[in-house]
Amino acid sequence: MKTIEVNGYYLPPGFSFPEMAFGTSVFERGGVRAVLRMPAVDAPLVSALACHVQQAQARYLGSLPVGRIIDVLDEAARRWLDREYPARRTAIDALHAVTGFSRETVAASIDLEMESSLKEDMWRALRSEIANPLYLDDFQPSPELNGWCRAYGPALVAAVFSENIPALPHLAYMRAALVKAACIGKTASGEPVFAPLYLKTLEELDPDMAACMAALSWPGGSAAVEGAAFGSADAVIVFGGPDACASLLERIPRSKKVLVHGHRIGFGAIGRAAQGRGAISSLAAAIANDHAMFDQQACLAPQAYYVEKGGEVSERELVEAIAHAMKETEARMPRGGIPAGEAAALHQFRARAEMRELLEDGCILRCSPGGTQWSVLCEPAQALAPSPGNRTVRLWMVDDIFDIPALLRPAGAFLQNAAVAVGDAREVDFIRKLGKLGVSRITAPGMMPLPSMMWHHDGIAALSSLLRWCDIEKKDPVGGLE
Amino acid sequence: MAGLPETIRALDEDILAFIGRGMDWCDDAAFNSLALRVFEQQFEHIPLYRAWCARREAAPGGISSWAQIPALFTDAFKAADMCMFPGHAVRTFMTSGTGGTGERGKVSYDEGGLRLMDATIKTAAQAMLFPGGARAVLLVIAPSPEAAPAMVMSYGMNRLKEYFGLPGSAFFIDRDGFQLQALTQALRRCEADRVPAAVCGGTAGLLNFFEHCAAQGLRFSLPGGSRCLDAGGLKKKAGKISREEFISRCGFFLGIDPCLCVNLLGMTETASQFYDDAIQAAHAGRAPKGIKIPPPWTRTLAVDPDSLEPLPAGRTGLLRHIDIASRGHVCAVQTDDLGRTVDGGFEIFGRARDDRSRGCSLSIDEMTAPAGARDENH
Repeated sequence: MKTIEVNGYYLPPGFSFPEMAFGTSVFERGGVRAVLRMPAVDAPLVSALACHVQQAQARYLGSLPVGRIIDVLDEAARRWLDREYPARRTAIDALHAVTGFSRETVAASIDLEMESSLKEDMWRALRSEIANPLYLDDFQPSPELNGWCRAYGPALVAAVFSENIPALPHLAYMRAALVKAACIGKTASGEPVFAPLYLKTLEELDPDMAACMAALSWPGGSAAVEGAAFGSADAVIVFGGPDACASLLERIPRSKKVLVHGHRIGFGAIGRAAQGRGAISSLAAAIANDHAMFDQQACLAPQAYYVEKGGEVSERELVEAIAHAMKETEARMPRGGIPAGEAAALHQFRARAEMRELLEDGCILRCSPGGTQWSVLCEPAQALAPSPGNRTVRLWMVDDIFDIPALLRPAGAFLQNAAVAVGDAREVDFIRKLGKLGVSRITAPGMMPLPSMMWHHDGIAALSSLLRWCDIEKKDPVGGLE
Repeated sequence: MAGLPETIRALDEDILAFIGRGMDWCDDAAFNSLALRVFEQQFEHIPLYRAWCARREAAPGGISSWAQIPALFTDAFKAADMCMFPGHAVRTFMTSGTGGTGERGKVSYDEGGLRLMDATIKTAAQAMLFPGGARAVLLVIAPSPEAAPAMVMSYGMNRLKEYFGLPGSAFFIDRDGFQLQALTQALRRCEADRVPAAVCGGTAGLLNFFEHCAAQGLRFSLPGGSRCLDAGGLKKKAGKISREEFISRCGFFLGIDPCLCVNLLGMTETASQFYDDAIQAAHAGRAPKGIKIPPPWTRTLAVDPDSLEPLPAGRTGLLRHIDIASRGHVCAVQTDDLGRTVDGGFEIFGRARDDRSRGCSLSIDEMTAPAGARDENH
């Protein structure tokens, strides 16, 4: 058994606090024993840390040119994309042991997150949201204003991460850094590994920038600690389920800017013209990829794919093609181990579906043999609702693509990500309806787990929402500005 | 029983004789041979089960042990009634609809099957609830059969009332709801007349009653020999308190001896029930093992939650029951209860199935939560 020791926290260089107590958590899986060292976190520690990162921000990051910040973040992403980068290898082993995701899945999710975090993506994300990224550095002319504008980020962002999407926490640190804010992240108890390793990379590249960042884990709902964290911050970014979000929102002072990324539900929609025989194996591979990535645990994952009847291939052929693709995916990127309860839920789901199939109730079911690794079920469409997940493909047949919006309505507030391939001129009208219902991202099948940095995450302008502006509307020349 | 094939009637007689031998013996060979006969009939007469077995390449003749009988997951009963002779069905029970989808499972009984269930109820209770010929006034905190004709617990409690109940036995949940006043009076009568009571019901229902008692300052001092039977004990509400705490409340509010509190695992999908050995042990003057005792006409296995392969004793998995008294539907039932087999019986830890506990995609629970709980302000 290989033992790896990792820090389940990140404290910035130069920070010290008297008499910190450390404990360890041990996770074992697949021949790896991960020993996580974690500090006991209390309110004085968090207050001292907030003070430290705020000072570092005022001294350094707050006045660092945005171009330099982007260069550091870009280099960090490139290092993580390097197969030989030691921190990446550590993360793959440790995250496998801690979360149960297969190594291949962890590696794929690191690639996916980092490939969308390169220099050009960051420039484009900023341009998309604030037109001119240099507004973050100094007053810049604004033709629309017919004056000058400058954007100021918060001094300190507090971020609360949800569990089990490996490599996701870096997003909050990146967004904070792009608006020149310090950031303290609360890692999830189920995944305290990635954020500290990522911040260590920033430290290798720019210790003064890393001095503005920290990652800690504490039991959710700890009022004193969260009071210290949220009280010191100017803005809070929250990832989590409705319960966690609701209870956090109660404890965040009203004066703070809050961005909430709650749990969401995704789906796909395939029109009959997109089911041509020649395209079926690539469509099947795309659908398999959407379900397999992050083992279908991300909010981006589809819970069902609506399929319009009348395509060139039969339902059975489509199911077989997807089953084949799921099998190939399993060989290449095995699903992780799952708790007994989730396995039981999958078996129950299959049992009911199989009975309906035998009753010729319009169901077709294909499953991984010998275990719960993947399931494909084709059945009449229903209102969108969560599936048992863990690589469960539900193909929900509709007579007409425009039958779908009514089926999405119950999920309204939770809608997020949609893969759409209508294949004919009705597509734009269909997309208009989805946007109106609350969908915040339309993409192609196969691309569901791959949002760009430029996406308005959950419909929010994730960067500009953190900013405050100062505009110069003086019509006469301003001394010193050109 | 006119109408059931002769082979079935003969089989039922043999099962009845087997059950009639009581709780305290074991005959593996006879059990195995009856289980295989039951499987053969179910395979022959339930087309859906036959088709399902065919996909698993299992057929009578091809298997030699009860452990190889293909087990149906409980949710399969939500898609179809597995009744062997639907034309002869005399009773249909339905599951409570917990567990995600809200759909309810259906299990129908023909007359012969119902006789088998009655026999299991009587034989098991004789040994596990009323050993030594004990009798009591059955006070049932569960819906009466009239109020809930499709609820298997009501049916079973009613049978207990018939077989073992002294005069005054009654149900205290009817179409108008929980009859607290009447129950209080019945308990006071047992107190006054020094006649033992058997307070029976769903675990959650009993806890609710204790809450009423606490709120109204009610306490009872039931006479010696009074006992408590709680069924279920796995639902959310009851899950929050320990078994010890439950028993101590039975003592505090009802004055029942902790040794005379027994828990029953019953399921709509199996005709037989599984008692723990508390009262049986107290009667025999030994310490209870605190485990569920499978009656001799049943077998219980724990299986790996993912592969469904049987696990050795002591390893935790999903419980699977093989029950020859379930002749009328499917005798091998795979549950999503977590548990393990131990010497002499099995332990059950609760429901394995949770709505998605991990990840950031939405769960059914969250999506169906009241609107106020899903505030998404920015």
